[in-house]
Amino acid sequence: MALSGYLATSFVYLGVYVLACWAMNLQYGVTGIYNLAFIIFQSAGAYTAAVLSLGPSSQNSSFQQYIGGYRLPFPLPILAGAVVAGVLSLVVGLVVLRRLRSDYQAIVMLTLSVMASLLVISAVPLFNGPAGLSLVPQPLATTFNVSPVTYSWLYGGFCAGLCLIVYVFVRRITSSPLGRALRTVRENDAAAAALGKNVNALRLFSFVAGGAIAGLSGALLVGYIGVWAPSTWGYAETIVVLTAVIIGGSGNDAGAFLGALLVPVLIVQGSTFIPQFGPPELVPALQWILIGVLGLVFVYFWPRGIIPERLRRFAPERPTHEPLLGAERSGSPTLE
Amino acid sequence: MLEPVPAATGASGAASLVASGGQAELLVLEDLHKSFGGVRAVAGATLSVPRGQITGLIGPNGAGKSTVVGLIGGSLRPDTGRIEFDGRPITGLPAYRRARLGLVRTYQLSSEFRRLTVLENMVAAAPMQRGERFRVLLQGRRAWRDEERQLASKARGLLDRFALGDKENEYAGNLSGGQKRLLEIARSLMARPVLLLLDEPMAGVNPTFSRTIERYLAEVNEEGVSMVLVEHELDVVERLCDSVVVMARGEVIARGDMSDVRSRPEVRNAYLVG
Repeated sequence: MALSGYLATSFVYLGVYVLACWAMNLQYGVTGIYNLAFIIFQSAGAYTAAVLSLGPSSQNSSFQQYIGGYRLPFPLPILAGAVVAGVLSLVVGLVVLRRLRSDYQAIVMLTLSVMASLLVISAVPLFNGPAGLSLVPQPLATTFNVSPVTYSWLYGGFCAGLCLIVYVFVRRITSSPLGRALRTVRENDAAAAALGKNVNALRLFSFVAGGAIAGLSGALLVGYIGVWAPSTWGYAETIVVLTAVIIGGSGNDAGAFLGALLVPVLIVQGSTFIPQFGPPELVPALQWILIGVLGLVFVYFWPRGIIPERLRRFAPERPTHEPLLGAERSGSPTLE
Repeated sequence: MLEPVPAATGASGAASLVASGGQAELLVLEDLHKSFGGVRAVAGATLSVPRGQITGLIGPNGAGKSTVVGLIGGSLRPDTGRIEFDGRPITGLPAYRRARLGLVRTYQLSSEFRRLTVLENMVAAAPMQRGERFRVLLQGRRAWRDEERQLASKARGLLDRFALGDKENEYAGNLSGGQKRLLEIARSLMARPVLLLLDEPMAGVNPTFSRTIERYLAEVNEEGVSMVLVEHELDVVERLCDSVVVMARGEVIARGDMSDVRSRPEVRNAYLVG
């Protein structure tokens, strides 16, 4: 039973972090955006789902203070989490992505991540400040009325279903001419613009799509664990997802899946099931050291990851030889 | 024949050189100024580029040639001045919009998309692809599959022409320096240019390969693509270009045939003094 519970929990976390890694892969792996504020979009989804699932805050006898509290039925809070995170991505993207060079974007994103945490901690009526939100109801838990382990398996199945839908969405992008255009932005944005690509619009699209998926993963996670507090979503959490994508294989959807399995599930979640030894903080500290070392090793020696971005071939066809200047160009008006 | 017009001054007081021939002008730059902090990179540049020709843009280091190319291409915004392309004012247009009008540039340093294959580099350069629009993706692969096939065929034709056909599945980053140059030129042709801005396409390439690139550029020009060629190799400019614009210290100081321009004292002084 304990093993079944452990596996079920890992299954749920796998679903949640596969979504997070696909979001990060779309932004960083495919488009080259260093989104070091990733965690705030995941948290936006989590907080949104939480405050829409909970009843009015007054019913908790001032135990928790928060906005919302509409007790919306499943799956509305989860979908709303994705939408709110997408909108937040749009706002942040319009400000940060348009004019800043990629290294400055990374600095600003990291700063935003810290600022968001401070804002939520300070503005207690928003999401209950540093204590965070708890007692978030698990979707349909009372409807199914099954054991916690069985519920975990069902929830994991639900996450797997969402993963399938998101995979189709992400795959449509990454395997299409749009995905190729995103990769040209990653490789050389000036050259991409010189060839007619609207670099700002492409980056913004990737950022918003990834942000919405990140929000979805946060909404799913809070629905399962029932709590969300600033201490659980520091900027270091972004490094976990980013490292997962780098190790698994950036630019590759399968690589991002593998990275989610290896880092957030096996290393982070897996370590919580290790029997305690040494001082209480030793195992969590070793976990972070391991993630950091693995990240450095892969960046130095295997920057493309375990499953690198695959070489894309076109079907064999006969070449054609067209006039260089098409009729629509040569008929342009001339100056006299 | 294009000649300097002495003592003709624009509002800025800078000498201007205007085309006196009867040819249609594809590109017109009027009194462009661009400074970077306290450094005046371009100070009142005025020139025009005729349709159908290769116009050379030469000058010593620091003359402002690459800055002018950046201003034309849209990666830089002028402080003052006007740019007109094919009858349209484009001064405020971003680079990608200019490219969609047919004003395509290449870069001094190789700008291939390294982790894309050679064929992907080519196909990616085609403008306004259906499959790049999100709402088309919602319709499925069928909505863009045929266009993709046509573009790949056209790209393969160009690769064959530039002797890169056997490299189509190679990562562009693995090509040699000369092959990267050829790829960049071939790729720019996928963007259906009306005017190609070539920023030192021979830089870093051995003389034999340089001749190959020359030949390809001449062929492309014969098929109707106009060019502005920034180049330090004056022999190349003399062989390829129909006319030449000389810049020094951010200004246009002479224009005409290469043989004529070469003998002018102000041009010689510019190369000696800088």
